[in-house]
Amino acid sequence: MAGSDLAKYPFLNEAGEYLRESGFGWEELERPDMKYIIDRAAERVQIEVDGKIYDKLERYEIEILTFLISLVIVKSIGMDQVLRKFALAEARRAEKFLTEDLRKQNENKNGSLIMKIFEDLFKLRIVVSEDQRLFKVKVIDYLARASHFHEQEWKLINRLVHKGYVYLDADETVRLIRNELSVLIYDKVRAMTLPTLPQSINLKADELRQKLLSRYERRLSPVITEYPPCIKHALEVMNKGDNLPHSARVMLATYMLAIGKPLDEIVFMFENAPDFNEKITRYQVEHLAGMKGSHIKYSVPSCDKIRNENLCFATAQCDTLINPIQFGRMKK
Amino acid sequence: MRHTDKSNSVWQDEEVREDNSAAKTISALKKAFREYYFYQSKSLEEPSKIEQREFGYMQFGQQGMLRHLSFKSMKELDAVFVREAPSDVYCSNAYYEFPTGQPMQEKRWLGADLIFDIDGKDLRMPCVPSHSYAVCTQCGAASPPTHEEQRAYSCSSCGSNKSDYVSIPCSKCIDGSKIEARRLIDYLLFDIGLERSAITTYFSGNNGFHVHINDNGFVSLDPQARSDLVSYLSGTGLTLESIGVRKTNTEDLFLIKFPKSGLAYGWRRRIAEKLKIDMTTAIKFRNIVNQLGGYDAFKVELEKLAKVMGVRIDPQVTTDVHRVFRMPGTLNSKSGLSKIKCTNLNSFDPFVDACLLADGKINIRVKTPVKVRLKKNTFNISKETAEVPAYAAVYLMCKRLAEAN
Repeated sequence: MAGSDLAKYPFLNEAGEYLRESGFGWEELERPDMKYIIDRAAERVQIEVDGKIYDKLERYEIEILTFLISLVIVKSIGMDQVLRKFALAEARRAEKFLTEDLRKQNENKNGSLIMKIFEDLFKLRIVVSEDQRLFKVKVIDYLARASHFHEQEWKLINRLVHKGYVYLDADETVRLIRNELSVLIYDKVRAMTLPTLPQSINLKADELRQKLLSRYERRLSPVITEYPPCIKHALEVMNKGDNLPHSARVMLATYMLAIGKPLDEIVFMFENAPDFNEKITRYQVEHLAGMKGSHIKYSVPSCDKIRNENLCFATAQCDTLINPIQFGRMKK
Repeated sequence: MRHTDKSNSVWQDEEVREDNSAAKTISALKKAFREYYFYQSKSLEEPSKIEQREFGYMQFGQQGMLRHLSFKSMKELDAVFVREAPSDVYCSNAYYEFPTGQPMQEKRWLGADLIFDIDGKDLRMPCVPSHSYAVCTQCGAASPPTHEEQRAYSCSSCGSNKSDYVSIPCSKCIDGSKIEARRLIDYLLFDIGLERSAITTYFSGNNGFHVHINDNGFVSLDPQARSDLVSYLSGTGLTLESIGVRKTNTEDLFLIKFPKSGLAYGWRRRIAEKLKIDMTTAIKFRNIVNQLGGYDAFKVELEKLAKVMGVRIDPQVTTDVHRVFRMPGTLNSKSGLSKIKCTNLNSFDPFVDACLLADGKINIRVKTPVKVRLKKNTFNISKETAEVPAYAAVYLMCKRLAEAN
């Protein structure tokens, strides 16, 4: 693998091997000329935690070291939210390079490398489409990943699907593995054990921690002023005394539990149901609340699920929601 | 000593008689089912990796299901069938490390077969009222079809206003389900890319079809991925943007910009063909959208169109990865017919091919005049009692339109 590739993809095992082969040891971080690298690494962490992408690309020896030290800094900051943001930004940084390389893959030699990264790291086989313009991934591989994305454009029905394959352009193909890439980096940091670090790194980590602590203080959730249309509809049907399907009752009860309605009130929301039986309803609501049976608290079904069950009555206000619980909550 | 009221004892007699006929019916059904499991055990299909499956069954005259059972072999299972003569038998589509574990998470889920359920009931066929009998939920009295949509019910025997509508599916109903099944199979073959050999279609045993997929790739899919697949198959969630209609910032204005990846396959192709558009006919497409009333109106139209072109499958069944699903080869207590493999869906006739009970005569008392055609014999029963072959007697008793006499 070329050094320039390792600079772009420093999370690959080959990058670690390169460091080992070059005889790198932690004590070298004490050397004065390492200050440049440590500063770069701190900058990388700061930028990425701010939600941007660190896109500088220098000599690969420098990039690999910078990446390694940024992992060390994030580890010693010791805040999970910081690690998550960093891992996601690193994934998006690599995503940018992967997309470029994938686009070029037809014209060059790098084709095999890029396919290898996808196959080895993510067990995702990518095939070039018949007309060479697009890439194909198996429907199963697509579903396993994209069904967790929330934008409607990623739903299988909005894709070009044919004979077991989903056709994607380079950006879309790479987007599929962003989460896995981010988890890979997240796990890498979680698994690290830190040696005694040079003072210079400790200072940088302390400085960043102080800055970031205030940002992640607990935010209060706002008060619900209006029910989402699916819940409103279910309540209307219920109030009329019409029969509400089981799935709609589950939706209604889990929603009410999630916004903190008292159990008694929820039970009596169902009193107009033609088959209302207080004892049974109470048991069922308690079950959903995680107080009975499996002791698992049920979450509110997603908008996708509600749509599939024909319980969705979306209005324009629902446009960006993925779960009814988000309805009417102020965005920060 | 307490004085016994005379009217009360008469009433008790009546109750005893009802109890007797209910008990007789249960015993007749159990006998017929037991015989089936004794003589027709070859019809049963051994589920793959049987030891990793959870089983459950129900019994005649008893509420609820016995679940969380596990069997090492078909032999063990056969023994239970003959001993218990269960009314319905279910097997998990899921594979578990510990199938008997409770609660659910103790079972350690390993994966689940992909399954689909097409229920004739969900197709809302216009013929249904003409062959649906109202059965009182209180006293069990039945009344003949009214050829109309369900109207306010009042039982002529007990005055209760609660009833179940029991349908004896007609050939149109079965054909309707077959159309859905065929369409589902087409989607699975040509879009999802399944091998034909991985798809097995079963008659559900009453009024629909079950499609089982034998493809390891799908076994690990989580409920969300299955739900996305359901949306695809049922035509839910198609956006206008994916076929090239994009909303502009101004209200209800739109522009046509076809997706770079084209319209050649999948839903895009289906819709493009339906609307007779292609990548070169942007202006024509714009006119179509305008004629229908602009972006929002076209959105409503597209949703309707996609629903009609999609397959009507039960989304719950496919997305549930812990479901126990009727086991192939077993009898369905809603009809006494078997859940049986359809090797040729076109020629499959459930009232012949899935009607596997014996011919021995059973004396029944019908609650209302009924007509049913089974094993190519028509039974048009207008007298109160009749002696009919076991398969027909069981069918009518399962439908709650007759009792053992």
